Amino acid sequence: MPVEIPDINWSLLMPQLVIVTTLLIVLVFDMIDAISKKVLGWMTIVGAGIALWKSIEMLQAGTNLNQFNDMFRIDSYSLFFNIIFLVSTILVALISISYLGRDDKKQGPYYLLVLLATLGMMLMAAGNELIIIFLGLELMSLSLYVLAGYFRESPASSEAGMKYLLLGAFASAFFLYGIALIYGAAGTTSIPGIAEKLTAESQSPLLLAGTFLLIVGFGFKVAIVPFHQWAPDVYEGAPTTIAAFISAGPKAAGFAAFIRIFMEALPDIQTEWGGVVVLLAMLTMTVGNIIAIAQTNIKRMLAYSSIAHAGYVLIGLAAANSDGESSAMLYLLIYCVMNIGAFGAVILARTADGENLMISDYAGLGFRKPLLGGFLTLMLLSLAGFPPTAGFIGKFYIFKSAVQAAVQPDVVNTWLVSLVVVGAINTAISAFYYLRVVVTMYMREPEEELEFNPYPSTLVIGLVLAAIGVLLIGILPSLLVNSAQNAVL
Amino acid sequence: MLLSIVIFLPLLGVIAVALLRNMGASAIKGIALVISLLTFVISIGLYTGFEAGIDGFQTDAQLYQKLLWIDGLGISYHIGIDGISLWLVLLTTFLTPICILAAWNSVEKGLSGFMMSLLALETGMLGVFCALDLFLFFVFWEAMLIPMYFLIGIWGGERRIYATIKFVLYTMAGSALMLVGILALYFQNGNSFDLITLLEAGGTFKPAMLLFLAFFIAFAIKVPLFPFHTWLPDAHVEAPTVGSVILAGVLLKMGTYGIVRFCLPLFPQAAADATPWIVPLAVIGIIYGALVAMVQPDLKKLVAYSSVSHLGFVVLGLFSQSDAGIQGSVLQMINHGLSTGALFLLVGMIYERRHSRMIVDFGGLAKKMPVFATIFLIVTLSSIGLPGLNGFVGEFKILLGSFVGDAFSKWYVVFATTGVILAAVYMLWMYQRVMFGTPDKTNEALPDLKPREIAVLLPILLFIVWIGVYPNTFLKPMEESVSAVAEKVKVKETENTPAVGQIIINGKTQDTVPEVETATGQLTKEEAQTK
Repeated sequence: MPVEIPDINWSLLMPQLVIVTTLLIVLVFDMIDAISKKVLGWMTIVGAGIALWKSIEMLQAGTNLNQFNDMFRIDSYSLFFNIIFLVSTILVALISISYLGRDDKKQGPYYLLVLLATLGMMLMAAGNELIIIFLGLELMSLSLYVLAGYFRESPASSEAGMKYLLLGAFASAFFLYGIALIYGAAGTTSIPGIAEKLTAESQSPLLLAGTFLLIVGFGFKVAIVPFHQWAPDVYEGAPTTIAAFISAGPKAAGFAAFIRIFMEALPDIQTEWGGVVVLLAMLTMTVGNIIAIAQTNIKRMLAYSSIAHAGYVLIGLAAANSDGESSAMLYLLIYCVMNIGAFGAVILARTADGENLMISDYAGLGFRKPLLGGFLTLMLLSLAGFPPTAGFIGKFYIFKSAVQAAVQPDVVNTWLVSLVVVGAINTAISAFYYLRVVVTMYMREPEEELEFNPYPSTLVIGLVLAAIGVLLIGILPSLLVNSAQNAVL
Repeated sequence: MLLSIVIFLPLLGVIAVALLRNMGASAIKGIALVISLLTFVISIGLYTGFEAGIDGFQTDAQLYQKLLWIDGLGISYHIGIDGISLWLVLLTTFLTPICILAAWNSVEKGLSGFMMSLLALETGMLGVFCALDLFLFFVFWEAMLIPMYFLIGIWGGERRIYATIKFVLYTMAGSALMLVGILALYFQNGNSFDLITLLEAGGTFKPAMLLFLAFFIAFAIKVPLFPFHTWLPDAHVEAPTVGSVILAGVLLKMGTYGIVRFCLPLFPQAAADATPWIVPLAVIGIIYGALVAMVQPDLKKLVAYSSVSHLGFVVLGLFSQSDAGIQGSVLQMINHGLSTGALFLLVGMIYERRHSRMIVDFGGLAKKMPVFATIFLIVTLSSIGLPGLNGFVGEFKILLGSFVGDAFSKWYVVFATTGVILAAVYMLWMYQRVMFGTPDKTNEALPDLKPREIAVLLPILLFIVWIGVYPNTFLKPMEESVSAVAEKVKVKETENTPAVGQIIINGKTQDTVPEVETATGQLTKEEAQTK
């Protein structure tokens, strides 16, 4: 029987192919003992850089085509998300090179897994088909489970890996069950196909059950309250660079698929899931921010802060208009840069006997280490949403889209208005714990003199890039806002 | 262009100080002083170029600028001044060099950071007063918190961390709601944050009362209006002298400025409806602030509570729906900035000598420090409102305007007037306890003011007398702008017959919004079909 091979335009897959190639090169070079394994980190950066450049080029060209029997969709939406993932990967690789140290054995698999996870994320953003999205999700998650437990000798890291694996597997099962139920209701797993089959009249309990299972699955993956419990433990135990990675790219990937499925396949039952998303967003922001106040460990604080930030992104989805989408995309990009920057500054504050993770360890740091103090302050102010940083632009745009959706000519959607009010109040709450770190750095005297490691140059490069990004987006956001607005579904 | 230079020159100074911070203390202080003086000198050009006859914002290219900033979101860099903001801008540029000079020898650690914070703060405050785009306004409004947070938190007193966090959180909580209000206005203003078109359409926004409150609460916290004032005594007491001067002199005015710039002209009807609730609060603030000031053992706290009382007057005048009242309020903003600024400077000077601010620790200073006592007396009398000095003109106009404006019961004016008497009580009693009597041993050796300190205070004294003797210099340029605001508020008195212009505007705004909505709606449907 002749097998019909679909016509494939390989040039459209360049970003993904570059990542696969880099991955293979890293794999091969890892086996060559003669070279320093630090090269692998640079290879990752170069590979991701080329893929980033390709993605930007294709985004500017306005590429919008389906591949592989419409299972794969190269549109500006997926290309914009590619940029988010690749920027995260480059920044994470930059802060990882010095973090992994001289231990050659650790380098190869590390970058290999980071690249595999990146590939998984790119699949998720480009998937036009629930099964492809699931494959991308699993590729990403499996790599992350290993990375979370990467420091085998550290019990905390192993615990983080185990916890992440168990809960992640649960989440995947929920997700898969959701797909199955939606398939049962619609008879297809293709996203446009589902949208075609389902109209507001034809909603069945099967479909609703599937939709809510998908929400649960995504809720676990992007750490939405009440599915967030794994996040603080995993972030705390995982290597700091991986905590930065998990909090950035994979979260964006989860949202990429979340938004695509809900806005493109299930827009007709928006009245059903819209209220749930509003509630989840309120809950996520409030719980994340309030628990973050109580944290004494900076990694746990950042974990709860990243939960809260998922809540802000959900506002964009709850708005369910094109501005909501583009604001969520822009926010995710900004969030990735500033969050990796914040974790990078935590790594920069290492002393000879390991990492300083208690917030009290940062006392007096601002004056003794002006560079580090400045970096961390900038990132925290951005996370708190102070102008003129990127974080402010992101929050502002999100709130704006939600108000737009809420204030229709005739009716005012009080749910959405209260969501924005809750979000705005949460911004004030979050300022409290972000500023507390700044208070500790600049306004408290240190209890003991700590010997800090000299600054590793790659880490500083990564942080400088993040700082430039945060300020540039904060002051001149026009370009990014426009490209996010053009990249909506 | 000139206006942009005034706003951003201090920011340039921040960069200069950051780059040259290793050149030693005197270089840092020198740069900061020169930059701030230069800013002040250039800002005088705003006054000379100002045309008093224009009732809106100045149209001269030097005093007005509009550039597209973030086109995707309808945001522009749009600045300008009118007769109200002109004085607040000048007050800011005037007080900043004075503050830098006042802090000359009192900063022990992190001098470069201190000067950078002060200059960044100046840019932030100037931006707030000049922004004609609500987004730009909000950016400056929030960004200005950061340098103030550092000023109180790093260089403040014993409980500085508590005070600075309280200050930031109070302000942020208020501004969070204002942000929502700004966004709601944006969609009713044809997807633009342009303040000028907003002001033209003032009174047509819905839901007016909620929007009014969203703005008003943010400003009331900043003023601070009773019962939102609790952050103020903490912030003032813990802030370094210069921080207190800026806080009282300019920062509090951002609240009253916001009321007169946004709350009144944008939501005149809601403002009128809310007047019966706000005026009692203002009067309570006047009397409560004065009574609490009376019993303060701490000089700085006394001055802080007197601010609550004085700003109660300002709010009272703003809601009087009369030209005289609003004019008096705007003038009183300047007066309070000068008098209270000078009081904080004087308290700071005595604190540097004696390391105490407790009234009981002093007594008989007049004999030992005659120059100090003289200046202190003039400032005290100005704060009380002695005719011939600045405070009198402002308070008189406020009370007069409240009386003739007829916007609220005249009994409130009567109660408010007792605030003037109470002010005399607490200020003069304090003066008596500090200055007269016999000095005890520790106060015997206190040196009188140094030439630098006199140089800090003299310019303020000059304006205290100037405003008191010939207020027209200051009232004239603001007349048109104030009556434009008053006009808006008064028109709303005849609520049942809206003016013709309003209906047209109302129709226009209602047309534009649905248009945009359907346009996006169609787009998504088309896209869905292609998929």
